[in-house]
Amino acid sequence: MLSRSSRRSVVADMALSEAQRTRYSRQLLMPEIGPKGQEKLLASKVLVIGAGGLGSPAALYLGAAGVGTIGLADSDAVDLSNLQRQILHSTETLGIPKVESAAGRLRGLNPDVRVEAHQVFVDGENIDALIAPYDFILECTDSFDAKALINDACVRGGKPFCHGAVIRFYGQMMTVLPGKSACYRCAFPQVPDPEKAPDARKLGVLGAVPGVIGCLQALEAIKYLTGAGELLTDRLLTFDALDMEFQSVALKRRNDCAACAGR
Amino acid sequence: MIEVRFFATLRDGRGKITEIPAESASTAGDILRRFDINPEEVAILLINGFHSKPEDSVKDGDVISLFPPVGGG
Repeated sequence: MLSRSSRRSVVADMALSEAQRTRYSRQLLMPEIGPKGQEKLLASKVLVIGAGGLGSPAALYLGAAGVGTIGLADSDAVDLSNLQRQILHSTETLGIPKVESAAGRLRGLNPDVRVEAHQVFVDGENIDALIAPYDFILECTDSFDAKALINDACVRGGKPFCHGAVIRFYGQMMTVLPGKSACYRCAFPQVPDPEKAPDARKLGVLGAVPGVIGCLQALEAIKYLTGAGELLTDRLLTFDALDMEFQSVALKRRNDCAACAGR
Repeated sequence: MIEVRFFATLRDGRGKITEIPAESASTAGDILRRFDINPEEVAILLINGFHSKPEDSVKDGDVISLFPPVGGG
């Protein structure tokens, strides 16, 4: 005779196919995920904006974990200089749009995943409609303007998101729950002049560094979707690969924040 | 002494942590000038863990943390 809780567990298991129970077996074992968490992941929609150094590991781990719908937004095509860090793409996909290259890789990795490819340059005209259908957004872009644009749209639309950024051996990230936690503009009120700010195109970046931060962004999405653990809210996490050091800086919502004050 | 902690690209040529005599700076801006850092190069300025501005005063025993903008993806 099964207890009530055991019966519930069996019923939940039934929703997953035999192949899915095998594919996701390592994460089904963990109480923080389990069959219910897996079903939530399979029913979830995550948008990755930027299919580059951060978006590559993030999308791969979301796909491997069985996030059911992954949106990818990027306007660029795969370039040879991308392959040192953008591990979604390959020598075989040089020259084709990054979102197509990424979609093929993700479909090959996991047929459970529905990939929505958006070959667009995000701007003020399209950002609100782009993020609207998704449960969680990963901000993996390489420009300060895009980071502020995505923050403001997510705050407006009440969309939780995770910001990531890298340069050289350094990375940073934070998760934002609009209306509840400090937003990107609470941490960085001024959008830097791109001509004066450090630029990875001029200063470089080691591929494994966005690998680390992109993986952590995927973790934040999975934690949000399953309710596991504590999110990286009201904190900026910084990473220095040279000293192999993570540091966390406390953040507070600003009363005068241009994006989230009064929301 | 005032402890100054640099992060990310601000560590280039300056190291990770340094100390300066308290009497050599009355504001955070004085410290930026001492290390040839334009305020525009600093995205987050903390004095003892609190978000601060270049015009805010500093004193003996303070810890100043300086983070540059990071925008690559």
